[in-house]
Amino acid sequence: MPLPTSDAELVALIDRVALRDEAALRALYDCTAPRLFGLALRLLRRHDAAEDVLQESYLTVWRAAADYRASLSPPLAWLGLIVRSRALDALRRHASSRADRTQELDDSLGHTLEGDTPDPMDAADASEQAAALHQCLSRLELRQREVLSLAYLRDLSHSELAQQMALPLGTVKTWIRRGLVQLRGCMARYV
Amino acid sequence: MHLSQHPELLETLAASYALGTLRGGARRRFETLAREQPAVRAAALLWQSHWAGLTELQAPVPPPAAVWTRIANRVAADRGVPQRNSRPVPPVRWWHSLGLWRGATGLGLAATAAAVVVALQLNGGMRATQLQMAGLKAELATVSAPQAGYVAVLRDDKAAAALLVTFDARAQQLQLQRVGGFEVPAGRSLQLWALPTGGKPRSLGVLADGRTQALPAQPAQVQDIPLLAISLEPLGGVPSEGGPTGPVLFTGEWIAHNG
Repeated sequence: MPLPTSDAELVALIDRVALRDEAALRALYDCTAPRLFGLALRLLRRHDAAEDVLQESYLTVWRAAADYRASLSPPLAWLGLIVRSRALDALRRHASSRADRTQELDDSLGHTLEGDTPDPMDAADASEQAAALHQCLSRLELRQREVLSLAYLRDLSHSELAQQMALPLGTVKTWIRRGLVQLRGCMARYV
Repeated sequence: MHLSQHPELLETLAASYALGTLRGGARRRFETLAREQPAVRAAALLWQSHWAGLTELQAPVPPPAAVWTRIANRVAADRGVPQRNSRPVPPVRWWHSLGLWRGATGLGLAATAAAVVVALQLNGGMRATQLQMAGLKAELATVSAPQAGYVAVLRDDKAAAALLVTFDARAQQLQLQRVGGFEVPAGRSLQLWALPTGGKPRSLGVLADGRTQALPAQPAQVQDIPLLAISLEPLGGVPSEGGPTGPVLFTGEWIAHNG
């Protein structure tokens, strides 16, 4: 596992990638790929699909690194948004071809609520704002945290969440509402 | 309804808007309020940046070595293509996408359609800038700075002017004049940044409460800067080295002019 890298180091690498420095892309990959692969796996739940998304994401970084500065966002968040966006594209393509395929991408979603999986969150090298979110999320019940995380990461509505997680719609709505109220109070103290 | 007078409701709505679970008519009503009320827009932007942190919190998993090999092959192939063809991004795109906290829209990546982004309305915005620039120069003559070498009008996403910034080379200070009614949320500060081409944003200072303010600045700090921006930060601002941490609310071209 690579050592945690500071935001400044990541920004310097992205700047060099913008100048078409392949060694910098490799270094950026080495620092960030495990984190982003974890994110892609969480979104897609399938190794081959997550590998494709990871590959596409770093090619996007290679081509668009010059736009990074304009985003004014923390480097890992920028990279994460690229992966999330690519993964959502993949999920949409999958959904539109679902007629001839099984729902393997959705299979294991229901299992995330069983409570026997350890908390997957990890703020080891997260930016300051993500660390605050981590603190506040860890005060929620696991199931509330899971519903909120999946709602954001997979861009799901209440009814889509209920369907994919095999939960009653009212339950999903209640967990999200309560989770948001608690988070609001907590984030107000941190940020 | 003036949502900013109901802070808890505003925060909850902004959080569910940015989360993506506020949908349908409720989402459209929130977007209307966000267009009308800067405080609503600011809350939505803050929550968008909060939620973006979720992408950083997933447990790491080492990818198979073959993934890098495929990336390296594609990058090598990419090198054979002239760069202009592979990335036909017009130069204006840089500041068009400037205010996008979520950052990805310039790449066609706006997956959850951040509708409340602080994007400058390029066509209308440019014309409006030129028109208002003429009036502004007249106004400047009365403001105080006979040798103001630079000027910027910082605007929000509706091209509404919020702040007038001029540089007084003789006094070596930036003159700030608020022209909009933006209310800073409690416990936060606005911070002014210089955005050099291809360099890191550099802090020019934290805004005070009053309508006018002078910030000391050396000519070197404001030369060759195409853009200024104002971000919403924790109270007292953040260190310059790390760059902005909060959403960018206002931006404006930093234009050199001769007295």
